[in-house]
Amino acid sequence: MLQNFMKNVWTPLKPYYTQVYQEIWIGMGVMGYTVYKIRSADKKNGLPFPSPVHFTEEETEANDIK
Amino acid sequence: MNENLFAPFITPTIMGITTLPIIMIFPCIILSTPKRWLPNRIQTLQIWLIRQITKQMLSMHNTRGRTWALMLMSLILFIASTNLLGLLPYSFTPTTQLAMNIGMAIPLWLATVIMGFRNKPKVSLAHFLPQGTPTPLIPMLIIIETISLFIQPLALAVRLTANITAGHLLIHLIGSATLALSSISMTVSTITFTILFLLTILELAVAMIQAYVFTLLVSLYLHDNS
Repeated sequence: MLQNFMKNVWTPLKPYYTQVYQEIWIGMGVMGYTVYKIRSADKKNGLPFPSPVHFTEEETEANDIK
Repeated sequence: MNENLFAPFITPTIMGITTLPIIMIFPCIILSTPKRWLPNRIQTLQIWLIRQITKQMLSMHNTRGRTWALMLMSLILFIASTNLLGLLPYSFTPTTQLAMNIGMAIPLWLATVIMGFRNKPKVSLAHFLPQGTPTPLIPMLIIIETISLFIQPLALAVRLTANITAGHLLIHLIGSATLALSSISMTVSTITFTILFLLTILELAVAMIQAYVFTLLVSLYLHDNS
């Protein structure tokens, strides 16, 4: 399976992943770092990481009571 | 009513496990790659369409910009297919989630900026000051241009999110209004239904246009910086 992956995906796309998209990897790293900082800040304040928009009604009431 | 309006925008979960990866990969099923020299009709049509879009989008780039062809074409196909599939009833559109659109916009925009600073630093810095500005205005204008540069990824993401979300919400609201009015007055309900019909056609156009705009702007940033 790994051989198939190397032959079909990695070998044709190797110049892209290694040279052309270097800056995109850097961008993804910066964005991942930002997400990590936001998530850890939320954890420090006791909030769950998906923001309250995605709560169901019971959880919203429970948070309001708190 | 509250929960009902926002229900289409909550990430679907099966027993607590998010199904978002499956939903995002799903449009790949409708885009098939041919294994033969003469593929069937659907594949020929898709390939022709992709080639036309590629030619039109990449005509303005130089050689270095054209190395991004795969990325730009994947982007426009992904956004267009997810937006169009989201117009089906009871479906979930990943592009309504701001998180996903920021996840698409920030790496691509940052990549174009880094590419510009890495390859042509003088020209990239010169973009901060348009030609022919009077000397007293220069400090303020540089600040304004820097702010406008940093707003670009947020504008990209929020534009896509807001357009698709607003469209879905409007269809939901006008649809429920039509249904509620049908028991009160049939003529008003028919008028509302006509509005709904026209709105759906608009949403079809918006779905594709938003994909185009997103990709076009990324390619514009690329062109500036390549």
